[in-house]
Order: sequence, then C-alpha cells, then structure tokens
Amino acid sequence: MALNQEELLRSPAVWQPRSIEEAIGMKEEWGSAAVYTAGSTLLRTQWEAGTAAMPRHLIDLGSIASLSGIREEEGAIAIGPMTTLTDCRSSGLLAEHAPLLVDAVRNIAGWSVRNLATLGGNVVYRVGDAVPALIALNAKLEWHDGSRLLFESAEEWASSSYAVPRLLTSIRIPCEEDDPTSNTKRFFAFHKVGRREAFTPSLVTVAIQGEAEEDGTLTKLRIAAGGGQTTPVRMTRAEELLLGAKPDGAGLQQAFEAVLEQYEPRTDPFATDLYRKRTAANLVVAALWSQSPSNASKG
Amino acid sequence: MIDQTWAERAAGSKLECEVNGKAVSAEITPSTRLLSVIREDLGLTGTKRSCEIGRCGACMVLVDGKPVNSCLTMAYQCSGKKITTIEGLAGEEMLHPVQQSFLEEGGYQCGYCTPGMIISVAAMLAENPKPSMEQIEEHMSGNLCRCTGYGGILRSIERAIERGGQSDDRG
Ligand SMILES: Cc1cc2nc3c(=O)[nH]c(=O)nc-3n(C[C@H](O)[C@H](O)[C@H](O)COP(=O)(O)OP(=O)(O)OC[C@H]3O[C@@H](n4cnc5c(N)ncnc54)[C@H](O)[C@@H]3O)c2cc1C
Ligand code: FES
Ligand code: FES
Repeated sequence: MALNQEELLRSPAVWQPRSIEEAIGMKEEWGSAAVYTAGSTLLRTQWEAGTAAMPRHLIDLGSIASLSGIREEEGAIAIGPMTTLTDCRSSGLLAEHAPLLVDAVRNIAGWSVRNLATLGGNVVYRVGDAVPALIALNAKLEWHDGSRLLFESAEEWASSSYAVPRLLTSIRIPCEEDDPTSNTKRFFAFHKVGRREAFTPSLVTVAIQGEAEEDGTLTKLRIAAGGGQTTPVRMTRAEELLLGAKPDGAGLQQAFEAVLEQYEPRTDPFATDLYRKRTAANLVVAALWSQSPSNASKG
Repeated sequence: MIDQTWAERAAGSKLECEVNGKAVSAEITPSTRLLSVIREDLGLTGTKRSCEIGRCGACMVLVDGKPVNSCLTMAYQCSGKKITTIEGLAGEEMLHPVQQSFLEEGGYQCGYCTPGMIISVAAMLAENPKPSMEQIEEHMSGNLCRCTGYGGILRSIERAIERGGQSDDRG
C-alpha cells in the first residue's frame, strides 16, 4: 500500500490542534487556505457538489476535548460545538430542558450521518435545521475571534452576514425553572416539511417555544421559520399579535397572514415561494391551534 | 511558517486502526475516504459504493460499533478506531443472526443495498434489541432500497428481533 506522491501533494494536510488557541493560530496563519472541520459531513457534500474546493489545510476540531459535551452551567445548558447530533438526540439533559432541540436533531439527516455530524457544524451552516430551534429557545452562541470571546444570540447569528472565520466554542440554552406558584404550561413544536417523510432536505422548517396560562392565554412565544436555503428568522409580527391573547379562529387567521407576509423563503426548482409561505403559515397556526386547551383534544 | 509544535499536530499519512478484528497499518493520505480505503486498499468489496454523498447507506460500516457512511468519513477520523464491515460481521462458523434473517425472509432482491442494511440493523439491535416501529423507521431511514419496497426488509428485521439480533463477535 504505497502512497502515491502526487496524491499526497494534492490532498489537504490535516492538523489536529490540542487547544482553541492553537486552532485559531493555525487559521490565522493560513487564512482562506485552511478550513475548520467538525464531522465534515457538510464539507464533504460541498466538495462533491463542487460548491467549495477542498482546501490546502483542514483543521480538525475533534482533537480539542473541551469542545465536546453537554453540561449544566450557570442557569444554562452548555453544548460543546463538537457534540454529535446523535449525542444531542440521546441527551437526558436536553430531553429535560430543551426537548425542542432534541426533536429538531431527530429530523436532521439519518442516524449514521448524525453519528458524524455535529451541532456546531449545523449552526455554522446557518441554514441548518437546528438553527430555527435554537432561535426559538433563545440560545446564545460563544465564539472566539483570536483575541477575545464574543457572544451573540442564535437569532443575531442567523441574520448577520458575518463570514469572518471565528471559532464557535459553545452553544448555550437558558434553563427556565418552573415556578411552582404559576399555572402556566410550556409548549414547543418543531415541524420540517420536505419532499418525503423522512431523511429529507427541508423545504420549510418551523420551530416554536412558548408558555400559556391554563385558559390558553399566551404569556411567552418565540416562533422561527427557515428551511431549504432560507436563513431562519423570527416571526416577530405573528408573535406580537398572539402574545397576551388566547388564540381563536380570528387571531390565528391574523397570525397566518403575518407569517405569510414576514417569511421570505429562498426558492429553488422544487417548490415555489407561495407554496413555502403557505406551508410555514399553516405549520405555525396548526401548532398553536393544537396546543390551545380548547382544541387539544380535537387535534 | 509552521510552528515547531504545530508540526507534531499534523495527522500523518499512516492510518493505524483495526478492521474486522485485524490490525491495519497503511500509508494513506489522511483525507482519503474510508470507502476507498476499505474497497481499494483492503479489497473488502462487500461495502458498496453508490451515491457517495451520504444519502443511500450502501457504504455503511461500523466505527467503534456505530454505523457511519464510509463515503463521508475520512481516514484520519478512523485513527485508532475499530471498523467492522459486512465481511467482519459474522463469526467463523455461522452467519450473523441479522444476515440469517435477511436470507430466510427474502430481505433483498438485487442485493446492492443489503450489506449496508444489515450493518444498520445489526447496530440498531445491538443498541436496542426490541425497537418499536417508530424506532426502526428512525434508525433505518438512511438506508435506501430501490428494489424490495421494504416489505421483505421489515420482515427480516422482525425475524432478527425474534431471534435476538445480537452477535457476540461484533468489533
Ligand atoms: C446525507 C446528508 C443529509 C443531511 N441532512 C441534513 C438535514 O436534514 N438538515 C440539516 O440541517 N443538515 C443536513 N445535512 C448537512 C450536515 O450534515 C449538517 O448540517 C451537520 O450538522 C453539519 O455538521 P458537521 O459537523 O458535519 O460540519 P462540517 O461539515 O465539519 O462543518 C460545516 C461548516 O462549519 C464550519 N465549522 C464546524 N465547526 C465549527 C466551529 N466550531 N467553529 C467555526 N466553524 C466551524 C466548517 O468549517 C464548515 O464550514 C446533511 C448532510 C448529509 C451528508
Ligand atoms: S455511497 Fe455512501 S451513503 Fe451512498
Ligand atoms: S435489493 Fe436492490 S437496492 Fe435493495
């Protein structure tokens, strides 16, 4: 099994830094000739499709132990970006505090891809299916830019056009403790519509996290919509209309119109703009309708 | 300029791992796909090449007991790992119970998806010997079959569950 010298010269060098500082140092040294690699499932797809060239250097983040794992930390669940989607899917901590994210992850690719793919890679992808869930959960992202730590919300990240290669170091989901004196109940919904039932690229992805009083009055609500190559955004107009209200037929009709107006999907040859808009609006109102106490049993 | 300490961080072109219980040490560029290492360097052609972008499951192998698409995995990601291909699933004497079930229940037609299917079923049953239909669908959704319509495959899975799909000699 002798190595072909030409092949060796053409193929990228793979570097395995032991610390965040070392990884950033390598990236600064080689600039665009180097790419961070996590599970490499997205990178491989891009190389095969010809949308990105294989770089000269791959900086494998898998060798930095501190970038993996899920822990409870100062009122939040901190997820290392190198945590695989499978580990997120089976995490007891996430099942307890962020079942919305577990549901989102279950809908990404298939089991074998999730054994390689990481949550960090999905976030940096920006149009990854976990991002709407992280926006609805009000997750915070921690980055290292070479000199200091930077913090921003998942919502800010998705709407920014920031392309400078920072290193994502943590994904934090705030844990809200249940108030035993309150009668509010938390709810969540994640829906992904593709061209087949399972293991499908998304056409529309919708994530909702909220809280309602016993009579159905919505006291908290965050709705995010993305899917396909559409950058996920918060549906703030629908949120404003619904907060403080008990969603009835007329209220949901208004929320439907608000999503139709605010959600601006990117199209491709597979589905039109209008199809995606209607799908997103239907998913949002159907989820809110079915969680309302007067409709839950009819759902 | 490459820092002296960084030089030690370069993944070398020697892949050291275990394949089907045997130690492998091979000169392979670190970004080579595991699929080519298995088929071309090791000559284990039971692992199939099809879509080559992670969408069909024909190239499925176990890495430390977990199913992964070998077309998506690079050599450096396998360093120090135990890899099991379809050739390494069965013991010396007998087929693996999942293989036996596919044979008895007609879980294949052309057979091209079958090695990948069997690897995924074996991994699923090793993790959960009695999966529900929902769990079967979740674990198997990355393996596509263009021939059977999945009926025979589902029957084979049910049969494998009945006989306890575990094997004693998985890597
Ligand atoms: C068959 C198949 C099906 C798929 N289905 C889906 C799907 O349904 N939904 C979906 O959302 N995605 C899907 N994907 C895309 C991809 O697998 C996932 O988005 C995955 O989570 C990416 O993670 P990764 O670890 O493989 O990322 P990588 O490919 O390693 O990296 C992705 C990008 O993020 C950068 N990066 C990674 N980690 C960091 C970090 N810590 N800091 C800075 N930059 C970083 C890399 O440089 C690269 O640009 C699919 C891919 C395949 C092959
Ligand atoms: S060849 Fe690897 S998944 Fe299709
Ligand atoms: S038996 Fe032919 S692809 Fe499955």
